[in-house]
Amino acid sequence: MSGRRLGMAASCLASLALVLVAVHVAGAQEPAVAGPRAYGSFPWIGSRTAVWIAAEVHLMFAAFVLGVPMFAVVAEGIGIFGGDERYDRLSKEFTRLLLIAYSATAMWGAVLVFFLTTLYPRFWAHMTEIFEVSMWIYVGLFFIESFTLYLYYYGWDRWKKGRAKIGHWTLGILLNVWGTAVLFIADSWLTYMMSPPANVGPDTSPAMVQFWSAFANATWMPINIHRLIANVVFGGSVVAAYAGYRFLSARTDQERAHYDWMGYVGNFIAIGALIVLPFAGYYLGREIYEYNQQMGITMMGGFMSWLWIIQAFLIGVLFLAGNYYLWVGMGRIPGAERFLPYTKWMLLVLIIGVIVWSTPHTMIADRAELEAMGGSHHPFLGVLGVMSAKNTAVNLMILTTFLSFLLYRRANRRPVVSWARTGTILQAGLFVIAAVVVLFYGVYGYFVSAIVRIGFSVYQVLAVLATIVGVVALDVAMLRGSESRGEIRWGQMPPRSQYALFVLVVTFTWLMGLMGFARSGIRQHWHVWEVMRDTSEWAATPALGYAAQVISVCVIIFLGLIAFIFWLGGLVEKPQLVPERGEH
Amino acid sequence: MWGTNLRILGVVLGTVAVYTLLANAIPQVESEVPEELSFTGDVSPEQLIEAGEELFNGAGGCTACHGLGTRAPNLLTAQGSAGPIGARCAQRVEGEDCKTYLHRSLVEPGAYVVEGFQPIMPDASRTMSGAQIWSLVAFLESQGGEVTVTAADLQAADAGGEAGAAAGAAAGPSATTDPAELIRELQCVACHKLGAEGQEVGPPFDGIGSRLSAEEIRAAILDPAASIAPGYEQFAGVMPPNFGSRLTAAQLEAIVAFLAARK
Ligand code: HEC
Ligand code: HEC
Repeated sequence: MSGRRLGMAASCLASLALVLVAVHVAGAQEPAVAGPRAYGSFPWIGSRTAVWIAAEVHLMFAAFVLGVPMFAVVAEGIGIFGGDERYDRLSKEFTRLLLIAYSATAMWGAVLVFFLTTLYPRFWAHMTEIFEVSMWIYVGLFFIESFTLYLYYYGWDRWKKGRAKIGHWTLGILLNVWGTAVLFIADSWLTYMMSPPANVGPDTSPAMVQFWSAFANATWMPINIHRLIANVVFGGSVVAAYAGYRFLSARTDQERAHYDWMGYVGNFIAIGALIVLPFAGYYLGREIYEYNQQMGITMMGGFMSWLWIIQAFLIGVLFLAGNYYLWVGMGRIPGAERFLPYTKWMLLVLIIGVIVWSTPHTMIADRAELEAMGGSHHPFLGVLGVMSAKNTAVNLMILTTFLSFLLYRRANRRPVVSWARTGTILQAGLFVIAAVVVLFYGVYGYFVSAIVRIGFSVYQVLAVLATIVGVVALDVAMLRGSESRGEIRWGQMPPRSQYALFVLVVTFTWLMGLMGFARSGIRQHWHVWEVMRDTSEWAATPALGYAAQVISVCVIIFLGLIAFIFWLGGLVEKPQLVPERGEH
Repeated sequence: MWGTNLRILGVVLGTVAVYTLLANAIPQVESEVPEELSFTGDVSPEQLIEAGEELFNGAGGCTACHGLGTRAPNLLTAQGSAGPIGARCAQRVEGEDCKTYLHRSLVEPGAYVVEGFQPIMPDASRTMSGAQIWSLVAFLESQGGEVTVTAADLQAADAGGEAGAAAGAAAGPSATTDPAELIRELQCVACHKLGAEGQEVGPPFDGIGSRLSAEEIRAAILDPAASIAPGYEQFAGVMPPNFGSRLTAAQLEAIVAFLAARK
């Protein structure tokens, strides 16, 4: 046991040392004297793709190890304050998945830094000159973070009771604090590349760039928030897939019950956080537009316009697979039969939503095409493709998914409060009001100017959010002390449902790769937007087809490694996590 | 067990394959890099037009806004009652011939804002060389007008280093320290109202002295991005950030004092 612990710590230390060395090498370059060569070259796939893959896989691991602690600590909290042992075990199992993933994160970080120093030395010198101090702090925090994780995991059984348990929980919170700080620092580097402060130009010497204005640049906070939420989504979906795998390979009913439940929780976390992600996306998009109109337009209407169609398709798959999993899951809940007839209508809403959402709007077209279409909007598709229709579709999809969760939650309960009927009618009323508001502004949007229309999307979102909050509040009150129609039969889940979890994790991972491409692709041929030009042979931003191939490679590398890591974890430790009695 | 593993692998790879195929099935648009142009002394108008057309439709990024009708004026086709850009360019600003107007539209887009549009047009000198900008001007002139860009323009741009320098020389401020004159000369009134004069893109100058101190006004001119006037957030970044280097200290102080006194 202790040998393994040491080995693990050593491997992590080694990879950290690599990062340190790499950062140091980079910092040591003196751009003023003669200057480093501008670019190195990487065999076969080329420098850009090499850095791309290193960065993307590093990011996927990082997202995983930042996302999981967030809900691990929440689960532990539920265990402590709700007195439900199950959650404590769940939290520990989440954390176990983190250990090796941490070293993988550090290793890929080292690969990235080495690639940057050898393949893009001049660019990297520019970055290190501006950000050196934050880079030192970054590695320092990474140390502290790793050791907090070791304490958190290995101290789990030692600090199990009373005050010690609270102390242990505090470690979990600290782990998140360090993780968030690390994320925010790294975000400042890449957002600087996107949106350097306005007073930095091609002739500004990096030494003259004010650190704080470069650090807290225009897109920094939006990216921070977007990534925090996306990490939770991502972590949840990886955990759900892990549980799905363990479910399928389980030998006993107990195991099956446990992993069925874990898969449900992971999926719940992923979809729950996914619902708020679009709002963070709007915020980021708005900041990009505000920073630079042209960048915003390139992103939404320029050479990237097709990307959003693929994105809409992927998100459509997420909604469908997530709901499918819930609907199949109703089979294990006594009493859920009464809701099953509704699912086909919900499916219909979702499918129509996906179709509308992925309809193209403004495409790049040359003059002949423009004339042929009689404008930049396709006469028929144009009607479906505008923001009004898309926002309406997305909001209805979110409402539908929320309804799925609600039915799921309600399935095996029988409310006892006297006003249960009124409450249900009230809830239904809220749904109807939200749907009407969404549809009304969706249609009305066609009759007003773009500026007014953008304001409408806010009303739509507010209506949906208000409904979610209102309905949940009613539900909690209404189900207080409710009777059970029978325990959820955890584990009695048809295996096909688990494949939905795999589709979900692949789609989330792929989507992350796609959005990463979008985010760094809008810089086009700039290392640092309008400050440092990319003059390498790889300066042109590739088309989506090539990008998709690189993304797929990253996804396969990541999922392959993570599967290996989970398998390793299973080798050494036969988890004592499976509870004695069935989950409920 | 192996059956399950294979099935999982199949689902994973199948999903990845579907996405990859889908992304390869759509139109493939690459974002090109603007090609650096090097013309010799006897460059012909045709060469310039050709280079300009390529930039316009490709790496220049112009079509992201122009050609969609609503976001920016049409250039290759008629805009309202006026003809295509080559035909209407000479009528835009009094005293500016077509070539000068087009060049300024590109390197100083805020100087004249076409009515009915927002001043979102990016400054081309931040991303393009002098030769590239002049070839764009030649291409635009060719749309309904006569091409008057010559090798001399290109050489002047080269000599001035940045394209902006060439335009700057033409439109640069004189040695005057009369604030009202400077404000007109520097085209502040293209975006700020001064009495009855000017457009209201940014906050009006009248009464500005009661809202801002002299220091704040100076800061707003030297670094417009540092603080954005409330209510004008959507125009952040529109005000040119380079007045600090275009004005002498005496000129700057004259403007600051002039504005601070407009209570
Ligand atoms: C972000 C959107 C955007 C981009 C990109 C853009 N423009 Fe513009 N452009 C505008 C807008 C809006 C106007 C009208 C307001 C103004 O005059 O500034 C305009 C005006 C013009 C005018 C004056 C038109 C007239 O009728 O007088 C010319 C010429 C022009 N642009 C050329 C170009 C060229 C060439 C490019 C590519 C290098 C380009 N623009 C890129 C938005 C854009
Ligand atoms: C292309 C349009 C444009 C030009 C030209 C321009 N400005 Fe501005 N200016 C703006 C906009 C938009 C704002 C408001 C947004 C902001 O604060 O950046 C602004 C803000 C200001 C403010 C701050 C006002 C406040 O209430 O906070 C001052 C002072 C100012 N400008 C002075 C000038 C002077 C002096 C000139 C000429 C030397 C000038 N501007 C030229 C667009 C312009």
